[in-house]
Amino acid sequence: MIEVHDVRKQFGAVQALGGVSFSARDGQITALLGPNGAGKTTLLRLLVGLLKRDHGSIAIDGVDPAADPMAVRRNIGFLTDQFGLYERLSTREYLSYFGELNGMAPAVLAARIGAVTELLAMDDILERRAKGFSQGQRIKVALARTLLHRPRHLLLDEPSRGLDVMSTRALRSALTALRADGCCVIMATHVMQEVTHLCDDVIVIAKGHTVAQGSPQELCRRTGIANLEDAFVSLVGTEEGIA
Amino acid sequence: MKPAFLIVFLKEFKETVRDRRALGLLALFTVMYPVMLGYMLNQQISRSTKPEREGVALAVIGARQAPTLMAQLKQKNITVQQLGPMDEEAIGALLRARKVVALLRLSEHYAENYAAMRPARIELWFDSAADNGARQRDIEEVLAAYSSSVASARLLAHGVSPATLAPVQLQRYDTGSTAARSAGLIGSVLGFLFFPAFICGLSAAVDSTAGERERRSLEVLMAQPARPVDLIVGKWLTAGALAVIGITLELTLAHAILSWLPLEEIGMAWRVTTADLALVCLASVPLSLLAAALQVALAMNARSFKEAQSVLSLVVLVPMVPGIVVAMLDLKTALWMYMVPMLSNQTLLREIAKGGAMDGLPFVLTFLSSLLPALAAVAFASWRLRSERYVLAV
Repeated sequence: MIEVHDVRKQFGAVQALGGVSFSARDGQITALLGPNGAGKTTLLRLLVGLLKRDHGSIAIDGVDPAADPMAVRRNIGFLTDQFGLYERLSTREYLSYFGELNGMAPAVLAARIGAVTELLAMDDILERRAKGFSQGQRIKVALARTLLHRPRHLLLDEPSRGLDVMSTRALRSALTALRADGCCVIMATHVMQEVTHLCDDVIVIAKGHTVAQGSPQELCRRTGIANLEDAFVSLVGTEEGIA
Repeated sequence: MKPAFLIVFLKEFKETVRDRRALGLLALFTVMYPVMLGYMLNQQISRSTKPEREGVALAVIGARQAPTLMAQLKQKNITVQQLGPMDEEAIGALLRARKVVALLRLSEHYAENYAAMRPARIELWFDSAADNGARQRDIEEVLAAYSSSVASARLLAHGVSPATLAPVQLQRYDTGSTAARSAGLIGSVLGFLFFPAFICGLSAAVDSTAGERERRSLEVLMAQPARPVDLIVGKWLTAGALAVIGITLELTLAHAILSWLPLEEIGMAWRVTTADLALVCLASVPLSLLAAALQVALAMNARSFKEAQSVLSLVVLVPMVPGIVVAMLDLKTALWMYMVPMLSNQTLLREIAKGGAMDGLPFVLTFLSSLLPALAAVAFASWRLRSERYVLAV
């Protein structure tokens, strides 16, 4: 459960977040929609405690990331907009590194590496070094790292970019399984189709403010527009900056 | 459970060991300098131990016209090689072949002019590129001595005292000893022995900070449940370990070479026992750690991998400055020198090499002079990694 209330963040003269409030429930996939520059990355960084908010409150299962970032991070899987692989490490070594950093015991770690490898169908690259991996392989490895320590919360920044059809389906089934497990998933994305098919809840942010929160159907109903993409544009209030 | 800094260290170390370029640099710097040094000193030793004027070979054209001169050359241990007439090109080729030091060509009318007491011409051909200056001067001295002895004899025959020809008597005294000359040399030799501390960890320091940031994996790492200080310490120890390995190997190799060379021949001394060497290596561990800490602290703040490399390649020269200044000003060893990183290591090794008795204080000061700033640099880097401005730039 992630609860955010009236969070603001300023960088010098720039107001990156001017008042963001939402709650993302366990056992749901929550989409984070917003044009580029809306403050999504800042929000995610606040959630893992990399940045400190100026105002408002954040509670991740009741823990404030500003007060105890280590406890929060142990319970979060964070997929950034960059994959951050190490070219000279094999997939297994890469996963072991992050597993150990998350305090996993060797036996548990080995079992979990097996499990995520199976989940994401990446046996073929498990012992290979990351140099020369395709975009799809890279994001699979990064996603495997995100899921490895069984975090209760997942923060995913555009997880499906660069994936082919098969991998997208694998990702979708992985996310559905996590939802069934009761995880709280927040997924920033620009793909409306994904939102309608996968997400239970949608947060729309624009210019650092939460504009709306609700299920895709609710958003359509509220705006009186049948198509989610058009509803999103209407909520954001401008056609600018939509990728 | 392993502490987080150890996890980071093991991963970074594994990655660096797989980087051929970094390992190549390490190998190059540990082996190159001692070997180069050994070669240079060996050259100098063999040059200085060679008997004087041994085998000074001189080619002479028209030698038969001046038998007395030839006899005098022979007395001075100069081997005369008689040749027939040659043209300029052939002479050049002969000198380039380096079989003879120089060539004397007596003009065809030499004997005739000599008998008539007209200046009899002798040409001295030499190759100034051949670095035979000393031997060539020997030959010229023989010629000058021969010339003045003939002149004296002629003057005497005319009833004039030969002393008229020497209004001034020149006597040379050289106070420079080989020991004094080589003192400067060993000073500069020792100055560079510690250089690898700043080179061997460089690549790992840059790659694990500026490189990690440029490849955009740093944000992921920073979002893990590991404190910034653990990340920095892990990376610092990786670069530091490589520097320690590099400099220990290099010092051992240099020690082996310097102990093996007969340095007494050129007035140098290497009175370092294996136990001394172990102490010097131990005292250089904090120097390596300081180098690594500075490199990590600087590289993580560079805007790009390239910038980090270029900044650091300049910064590695800075620690050499105190040593060079001390050498230039010709300062006597003082206690404060053990408080300056790098200079302290150089001074320590120089004093040990001289064979003087050392008490513990210089070792302790050398150790601390690097360790304390190293810890300060690590603290700075950890603080910086935690700062919001840094997170934004990642």
